[in-house]
Amino acid sequence: MLSAALPTMTAFVREHLRAPLTLVLLIWIPGFFVLIFASVLGDFAKALGGTLAAQSATAISAGWAAAFLSGTLSFFQVSSSRGADRRLADAGLGPGRVAFARIGASSAIGIAVSAVAFVTLWLRSGIGHPLHAGVAILSFAAIYIGLGALIGAFVRGALEGSLLVILVFALDAFSGPQMTSSGAFAWTPTRDAADLLIAAAGGQGSPGADWLGMAAVALGALAVALGAFWLSARTRS
Amino acid sequence: MSARALTATAMAFRDQRRRPLALILLVVVPAYVITRSIAATLGTPRRIGLPDGVWVTTTMRDLHGAGMGGLAIAFVVGLVGVFVMQSALEGDRRLVLAGFRPGETVLARLLVLLAATALVVGVSALVTALNFTPASWPPLIAAMILIGLIYGAIGALAGAALDKLAATYLILFVVKSDVGIVQSPMFSATPGRLAFLLPSYGPSRAMYDGAFSQSFHAGSELLIGLGWLAVLGVAVYLVLRRAVGSRT
Repeated sequence: MLSAALPTMTAFVREHLRAPLTLVLLIWIPGFFVLIFASVLGDFAKALGGTLAAQSATAISAGWAAAFLSGTLSFFQVSSSRGADRRLADAGLGPGRVAFARIGASSAIGIAVSAVAFVTLWLRSGIGHPLHAGVAILSFAAIYIGLGALIGAFVRGALEGSLLVILVFALDAFSGPQMTSSGAFAWTPTRDAADLLIAAAGGQGSPGADWLGMAAVALGALAVALGAFWLSARTRS
Repeated sequence: MSARALTATAMAFRDQRRRPLALILLVVVPAYVITRSIAATLGTPRRIGLPDGVWVTTTMRDLHGAGMGGLAIAFVVGLVGVFVMQSALEGDRRLVLAGFRPGETVLARLLVLLAATALVVGVSALVTALNFTPASWPPLIAAMILIGLIYGAIGALAGAALDKLAATYLILFVVKSDVGIVQSPMFSATPGRLAFLLPSYGPSRAMYDGAFSQSFHAGSELLIGLGWLAVLGVAVYLVLRRAVGSRT
């Protein structure tokens, strides 16, 4: 399975990065979010009624950058490639290997975006628990790979899909306990990852329940993404 | 307008009507983002500088009330610009091969973009009115329209020049940098020294001026914005006309 999916995965990564500007923006935007936005996010979060210290606000911006970029990428992976993926599957690769190649490509780009955000965060303000923070940022990316793929599985239009990714992102970001005291939603996809990232930035550990919650949501999201990629690659008779 | 241009316009609008989810999201996304951001913000005092050296003390909550409409409009209309123009590039070349003039197909797509801008600006203004009372509506509305048109044009150019992913990332980056940070008095009491170089400088200044001042001080800033719109509008027309007219 892996030996057949690997060259296809590499081709999918190249497909997305063939426009040089995409590559530049994938590197630039996470760094930009962390460096520029985070420098003002501490005061901003207080104005929103949250309790973020400046360092924690900087950390959360890294997670959001990884989340939004990965979600958009994952949506376009599903929505733009349906026809080509079906042909690939019909040509002998099979929907399973196409799905593994797609999720491998999304994850590889998600890891790269997360790495840029993580390194910028580390250089910008330091991280108390680098390993915890790295895992949390990767979880943001994984969760949004799942959400983007899920949207792509049901929504074909590029405008509708990208607006839905923005809407989900806004619901998630605005409703987190870190940005608002009002707590509009009891649960949001990145709640545990955000708690863990904020704690890690301040040098604190997190309770096991947060780790379990984050792992469950991130792995569940990747499973959903795999299902969405498989669905879009399988032939309909 | 010629019969062919009318047909192309009717078909372009019919194409949009077939996608009700897009219309719903053009309403829901700005409405949610504006309402939620205002509701979640505290009334922390904030002193800001308006055009002509006027200073006012307001609150962070009111700054969100004044500015979130512009930010939401720029994001949403920018994306509409990207994808309306990508649709145009996919389908309109065939219309040109079938005998339509490039200008007729481009006009149809531009009218769709204008209609989407009107919808998003209307929704944003209505939602803003439900959450915030500006000192003067006309400059605020004019600024919202101008931001929508400028970012619709930027989106259209991005859609014509880049693939979907790169264009989406570019809109995210430019809107957030320009409207969301550089021009926002939430982060800097007055825009920085080089802020005037960015496209939303003029309308953003007019927007905050209308929100917090009874008298209008942003005439020259609004002219800068109109200049941006004129240049971008001509660029969009020429780029699209050339793109749909090219025979490969």
